[in-house]
Amino acid sequence: MKIIGIVLTTMLCLAAGPAGAQAPNDAQIASIVVTANTVDIDAGKLAESKSSNSEVKAFAQRMITDHSGVNKSADELVTKLKVTPQDNPTSQNLKSGGEKNISNLKGLSGAVFDKAYIDHEVTYHQQVLDAIDKTLIPSAKNEELKALLVKVRPAFVAHLDHAKMIQAKLAKKG
Amino acid sequence: MKSTGSKRLSAACAFALSLSFAIAPLATSSPTRGTTHTVVIDGVRFEPETLSVRPGDTVVWVNHDPFPHTATSQAGRFDSHEIGAGASWQYTPDKSGVFPYDCTFHPTMRATLIVR
Repeated sequence: MKIIGIVLTTMLCLAAGPAGAQAPNDAQIASIVVTANTVDIDAGKLAESKSSNSEVKAFAQRMITDHSGVNKSADELVTKLKVTPQDNPTSQNLKSGGEKNISNLKGLSGAVFDKAYIDHEVTYHQQVLDAIDKTLIPSAKNEELKALLVKVRPAFVAHLDHAKMIQAKLAKKG
Repeated sequence: MKSTGSKRLSAACAFALSLSFAIAPLATSSPTRGTTHTVVIDGVRFEPETLSVRPGDTVVWVNHDPFPHTATSQAGRFDSHEIGAGASWQYTPDKSGVFPYDCTFHPTMRATLIVR
């Protein structure tokens, strides 16, 4: 899990970024938002099909549904604003980090899989929240894009808290 | 200057008064049976988190989030099941009581409906 944490930290530090790093433009922010949601949807699909823990499966289903909903809102907004999401190092790192996570999870099963998935969800949502707070919201120029980020932020907080609740339960079982 | 300040104060009072009328049905118990109250679901929260109504009043939950929620009484008194994005669900309680409820999809979402 430490490795996953390091990978996540590395890929999101570009978004949460050191002072002086170039702030993403709105098209890049749109791409980061859509990618961040898609990465979690893909992990959720794997967990939903692979886990046999009902609580983990329900959480995974929730990630699929909620992040799909957020992406639908993001798609509608970029269409309305005529903005084409622009690939950038942060969105690329998110994507490759997501693929590494899936690859790692595919090699696990049972309680080990559940723990790895949920641990990653905790770290991932925390890192995305940091990026939203430190870079995406402050950098967004378009008011509607900024408003969308502000609106969906509580979902990431709720998911983080939910994942932590399951993490604590799994630790007790452990 | 004094006159302008006074006008501003009056305007502010009028605005505050109009706001209080607008907000009152959402936040306080209704004096009239059969009133409709609204609970807005937004930002993965129920707003207001505590709502007092009278038996026979109607409560409408309106989901402003881009994904579904439920309003589910912990004691089994009511259950909206899935309220989709942009959708709403209403319930008319007929008995008094204090009914904590939550969203079965998001365990951090908790609120209370008081009927008296």
